[in-house]
Amino acid sequence: MENLEALMHGFGIALSGNHIFLMVIGVLLGILVGVLPGLGAPNGVSLLLPLTFGMQPVSAIILLSSMYWGALFGGSVTSILFNIPGEPSSVATTFDGYPMARDGRPTTALATAFGSAAFGALAGVVLITLAASWVAQVALAFGPPEYFAVYFLAFASFIGMGGSPPIKTLVSLAIGFALAAVGIDTVSGSVRLTMGIDEMVKGVSFVVAVMGLFGIGELMIAVEEEFHVKAISSKVEWREVFRTLVGLPKHGWALLRSAAIGCWMGITPGGPTAASFMSYGIAKRLSPRHANFGKGEPEGIVAPEAADHAAGTSALLPMLSLGIPGSATAAVMMGGLMIWGLNPGPMLFVEQKDFVWGLIASMYLGNVVAVVLVLLTVPIFAALMRVPFFIIAPVIVIICTVGAYSVSNSYLDVMLMMGFGVLGYLFKKLHYPLAPLVLAIVIGDKAEDAFRQSMLMSKGSLGIFFAKPLVTTLILLGAALLLMPTIWRTIGRMMPRSEVKP
Amino acid sequence: MVSGRSLEAATALITGAFGAAVIVSSLDNGIGWSAAGVESGTFPLIVGVVILAGSLFNLVQGWLHARAVILGPSELRRLAILFVPAAVFVGVIPLIGMYVAAALYIFGAIAWNKRGSLLLAAAAAIGTALALYLMFEKTFQISLPRGALGTWLGF
Repeated sequence: MENLEALMHGFGIALSGNHIFLMVIGVLLGILVGVLPGLGAPNGVSLLLPLTFGMQPVSAIILLSSMYWGALFGGSVTSILFNIPGEPSSVATTFDGYPMARDGRPTTALATAFGSAAFGALAGVVLITLAASWVAQVALAFGPPEYFAVYFLAFASFIGMGGSPPIKTLVSLAIGFALAAVGIDTVSGSVRLTMGIDEMVKGVSFVVAVMGLFGIGELMIAVEEEFHVKAISSKVEWREVFRTLVGLPKHGWALLRSAAIGCWMGITPGGPTAASFMSYGIAKRLSPRHANFGKGEPEGIVAPEAADHAAGTSALLPMLSLGIPGSATAAVMMGGLMIWGLNPGPMLFVEQKDFVWGLIASMYLGNVVAVVLVLLTVPIFAALMRVPFFIIAPVIVIICTVGAYSVSNSYLDVMLMMGFGVLGYLFKKLHYPLAPLVLAIVIGDKAEDAFRQSMLMSKGSLGIFFAKPLVTTLILLGAALLLMPTIWRTIGRMMPRSEVKP
Repeated sequence: MVSGRSLEAATALITGAFGAAVIVSSLDNGIGWSAAGVESGTFPLIVGVVILAGSLFNLVQGWLHARAVILGPSELRRLAILFVPAAVFVGVIPLIGMYVAAALYIFGAIAWNKRGSLLLAAAAAIGTALALYLMFEKTFQISLPRGALGTWLGF
């Protein structure tokens, strides 16, 4: 009940004209970056970040999170209409969304996608409303060892459940940690890992890394496959939209299951991309009509979309209540929080009630705004896809360059960004995950501090991580997650496999 | 033509070299336990060792299991068409500044792909520079680099 009261208070904050305006702007910009290849939610949010420094934190987070919702929706539009996923997390939507649209039912495909997405997002927000403050309350009692254990758990779940090769995930994560350590050490004040370049004392900003990894890297992946944009009619027939939305409860079971998968993957940092693939795979395996998957089966759209959005939304739960972002975009937002002078984590729920509940309320509103706006603007953004790639590509390179430069007016950052671009391309091409790297840059210092403070408490003994039941449980849970890939492989070898390939 | 094997190897070597550099650099900060707690080089050292060991694993793994051809000639050509101009654009910023570099970049891209429409290319180029100026210099008060050219012109 207390939560409901707080939520109502939050609606009071979110429902101001100024904030609704920011939501509309955020969603529209989000759809734009979602539609454009090479620009995604992490870049979009990073680009907007420097522009929010003068704002109230609650206004700033509403703008950024709305952009996130918009990007999630925008990614689905191009997946369905052009078979080009605008976002990595909407790849699974192309499997059935595009065939359905190609067979003359683009409106049905879009409406199914948006309806399921809205349901997934709603599930995520409800979960946050109910559970976030409770998690925060538990976390208030956390000391450094507990924090380190939670970080350990988060990183272990990347390796165990992220779906990429575990050692590649580990390398990506460790590189992020190393980059986070560059610059002045917050504990001792000494300068670390500058590799002889004086300017590196300021450290490596996650914004620079995101611009390169997700911007330039993704552009290079996109340019490799030659686009043949075959335009499917992008006209939205409103009657068909309503008929589809009314018919969605038919897929109730699939919706619930996908939303649950999404929420789980969002809270543990598996992320939206892994969630959508996993949900699609499970839907295909369980559906009685699994032969129809890949040919325009509605459940093949419902499953990835609901999971994608549920994961995207619920990724904010651990960010708010523990200070651990559940996805790359959430990591960027959390970086923003720290720049605005807020301390992500349980204290937010005590000290920044307006901020937290304003944000949560805005998530309900923002998703409604996003569904309406995306339906209204599909034809406009679809037309954008006809702008030739040779014009879009340089524009995105320029945007990323300016974005990296504007972090601290440094040309070195621009060079670093290009380096990250090449690395991002290689990583994507070879199935190294990028999200752990970004996450580790943002929270690497905090994880290290937690470890060192724990060591100070125990005078250098690792035994502190096994001293209390909670810490021990978390550490053991993390260790179990680390071993997951090995366990799965062993089970897979023992049982005859019915492999699900989308 | 680039094989999956060489791309895997190149990536593992890059990450491995980074790991090695992190290890060497962390030794300067002191590792282990001191009166003030865990010394500041310890964490980077562990991380560096993880990167190096993981890279070695990926190197071997990539060598054994990689796909034969991962980049054909046409893909390489397309990559070059994107990356070379982008690198040149970034490279000339200290000389001619962000505005001129961005304008030339857009001009070049359009003129190259749509031969003959120089007027369109010029318009788009000027439009880009103007948009950057209004957006950053005017609205958000972020001063973009003008380069040596800017200094010479006194802009």
